[in-house]
Amino acid sequence: MPRSLRGVLCLSFACAAMFGLAACGGDDPEGAGTTTGGGTAASDGGGTSGGTIKTAYTSFPDHLDPALSYSQEGWQSLWTVYTPLLTYKHSEGAEGATVVPGLAEDMPDISADGKTYKLKLRRGLKYSDGKAVKASDFEHSIKRVLNLESGGSSFYLGIVGAEKYVKDGKARADIPGIVTDDATGDITINLVEADGRFPYILTMVFASLVPGDTPFQNMTKDPPPGVGPYKFENVRINRGYDLVKMPDFNVADQQVGKLDKIEIEIIKNRRRQTQDTIQNKIDYMNDPPAPDQLRDVRAQYTDKRYKEFVTNSTYYFYLNHDIAPFNKPEARQAVNYAVDKRSLARLFGGLLEPGCNFLPPGMQGYQKIDPCPWGDPTAAPDVAKAKQLVKQAGVKGQSVTVFGNDEPESKPITEYLSDVLNDIGFKAKPRIIEASVWIATIGNQKTKAQTGFANWFQDFPHPGNFFFLVDAKSIQPTNSQNYGSVNVPEIQEIFNEANQNPDIDAVADDYARADRLLVEGAHVVPYGHRKLTVFYSDRMDFENCTVWHPVYNLDFTNLCLK
Amino acid sequence: MSIADSSVQPDLSPVLDDGGQAEAAPAPGISPWELAVRRLKRNKPALIFGALFFLLGALALAAPLWAQVADTTPAKNHLSDTIVVNGKSEQVVTFDGVPIGPTFQKKFFLGADSNGRDVAVRLLYGARNSLFIGITAGIITAFLAVLLGTLAGYFRGWTDAIISRSLDVMWAFPVLLLGVALGVSLALGGLQIGPLSISGNSKWIPTLIIGVVSVVYLARPIRGQVLSLREKEFIEAARAHGAGPLKIMFTELLPNLASTILVFFPLLVANAILLEAALSFLGAGVQPPEPSWGTMLANGVELLSTAPHLTIVPGLMLVLTVLALNVFGDGVRDARDPRAKVRLEH
Repeated sequence: MPRSLRGVLCLSFACAAMFGLAACGGDDPEGAGTTTGGGTAASDGGGTSGGTIKTAYTSFPDHLDPALSYSQEGWQSLWTVYTPLLTYKHSEGAEGATVVPGLAEDMPDISADGKTYKLKLRRGLKYSDGKAVKASDFEHSIKRVLNLESGGSSFYLGIVGAEKYVKDGKARADIPGIVTDDATGDITINLVEADGRFPYILTMVFASLVPGDTPFQNMTKDPPPGVGPYKFENVRINRGYDLVKMPDFNVADQQVGKLDKIEIEIIKNRRRQTQDTIQNKIDYMNDPPAPDQLRDVRAQYTDKRYKEFVTNSTYYFYLNHDIAPFNKPEARQAVNYAVDKRSLARLFGGLLEPGCNFLPPGMQGYQKIDPCPWGDPTAAPDVAKAKQLVKQAGVKGQSVTVFGNDEPESKPITEYLSDVLNDIGFKAKPRIIEASVWIATIGNQKTKAQTGFANWFQDFPHPGNFFFLVDAKSIQPTNSQNYGSVNVPEIQEIFNEANQNPDIDAVADDYARADRLLVEGAHVVPYGHRKLTVFYSDRMDFENCTVWHPVYNLDFTNLCLK
Repeated sequence: MSIADSSVQPDLSPVLDDGGQAEAAPAPGISPWELAVRRLKRNKPALIFGALFFLLGALALAAPLWAQVADTTPAKNHLSDTIVVNGKSEQVVTFDGVPIGPTFQKKFFLGADSNGRDVAVRLLYGARNSLFIGITAGIITAFLAVLLGTLAGYFRGWTDAIISRSLDVMWAFPVLLLGVALGVSLALGGLQIGPLSISGNSKWIPTLIIGVVSVVYLARPIRGQVLSLREKEFIEAARAHGAGPLKIMFTELLPNLASTILVFFPLLVANAILLEAALSFLGAGVQPPEPSWGTMLANGVELLSTAPHLTIVPGLMLVLTVLALNVFGDGVRDARDPRAKVRLEH
């Protein structure tokens, strides 16, 4: 999801991720899963159980309804309250990105043509209100996603009959592609065409099971019961809410919570959040410290109470292949040569890992492109070469409009790119658009956006969730997500084949090849991957209880006090 | 915002009626304008602040010269550059994004911003934009306000009702919100009025917005003034001589409105500069790459404690400019009509 659509730092990227960096306790944080909560001994991952902490968010999550939430803050909490049929281990790195059974007994049985998924619901599951979980609840949950026009509805339109269900607009109508049997717990999902990403799509919070009588309306004020280690209580819109441990949560292989209660409070001022965390009035702040406090926090608390994690995200400049001057390869190469990734990292206050790849380092299929064809990302750019290429392409002096939005991180980057383009011989001007209409504007072919700021945070840990940004199938007259209209037959062929294969290990090399072709062909200008932070109070057990999950960021179920 | 009530409107009748106070009455052989200049000359604070305003204007005009001295442009990023300060090499912007403070040398005299741009250069170019928008918007406001106020006051009846109610509607909107709403929508698609096309990032957009939304401040007192003037004997005499409405407006009313316009103009400019800064601060005013004091302030807020120069410097310029205009404007008002108490009220 593009990050710049929502509030401050955690806007619309649900699943920023990072692999293998956090200081985690030696024990397996996944946990036995059969322990019931409320005890005093640590069940897993080290640290103690019990206690209450106070957490600060800069803004209230977009929704506290699993069918609707499409933000990092929302998913971070919802993952502890709702469990989909498939989910992830509560671990870091590659292990945390591995799809495992959630409420399903086992991984799906996929037909040879890749179109049919068969799952079986675990027996004896109960929602937090004590009601039994039924297989038909899955269909109801997907219906809610589609009927409420959730941001996640597009993920489920590949199910047979889903498009018609949306078109007809009848909430109670059947989706023929989902067949369930409450008696046996069998769930069969039929897809219109094979989609290797579908197991990941089933792990998304959108697909979490909620009771079959949950209304077709936004339930943020009174979130529906779920099956998870925590439940929502005391929801105060725009002010906060509590996550209260479910003492009876007992699902095999599923993590139980350590803390009794996590109080989430909305504090809009990040400076105050930082100050309160330093003074131990807040135990964890979700957003990075305010820029003017970052230096001090880094100096005093790194590896004691503060740590930075590279997320599964990509920041890049798109270059429109259909419009001059970037329809010429030399012009695109020139921009790649001229962009100074060290400078861009400074614009993020150091919270950006400069890189050459389009895929982020934590993603399957990532193979570091080294040496980078456009120069070392941590070294000075080759502006002379860029100028020469611009001249060679005969595009010197051409007008370029650089599009960006008015979010704090996009605006300076857009201005930076405009300056770089002027430096190498273009006549560039930044064009800052209000964030809420930015994507619609640059995604409209009539806008003829030549270049500009773009970013993406993963929805799920699959390369296809990044490559759709440069997939020819994403080119649309309106709401196009392939802003640069990249359509390279050689790369497209790789996407077409790899995207259908549910065995991600088998196609990882193909995705790596696509990544290399994309970068070497100068089809985009990737420049780095965003870092996010963990900053605790002194009360928190930093060493033993910090698990940075590749999809949901800081794992709340592993948090504990000293 | 509202103009002070009618009891404190400037009395701008053609002959100053001072109620017998000798000080207000023009000396024999001296025109009211000459008298005003004399009074203004005696008002030292007004002259000092007036001079300060003209100095700021001169500095703004000299912006390209200073940019040459500093070897940069207002939009040039120096993020990964280093500079020697007191014999020590320093990064213009540190790795953690903190820009260098004032060096008091040619380059980065007032420090750099988070994009590594020279604050002094941007400040001077920002002054150009602020003054251009302030003065141009003031002229637009004065023109529209005189037009509407005169038509409403002279014709009364339906004309007055339509114009006055329209102004009431505008009055009902908070000016800043109205400006932001217009600024954001026009920044996206630009403005097309007949053959005239203005692109979304042109500074004419905030200029026109400010010029239009400020009309109410001046149109109302002008209307009141015209309502009063149209009943005076010299207007009746003009009518008796067969003068049409247009001629009366141009030759009789307009000269008598000059004082009101003159008194209000510096205040309108000061108000427009403030409004431009506010709109730019909120992203609805001057668009990048053009610098503006408002955008400079907005950029500095995030780094308030580590790089306070980013907010102090443009903030100080804004205060000085508006203060200079207000004190000078008060001086002009006192010189033209010592009894009038005119101010723009928010």
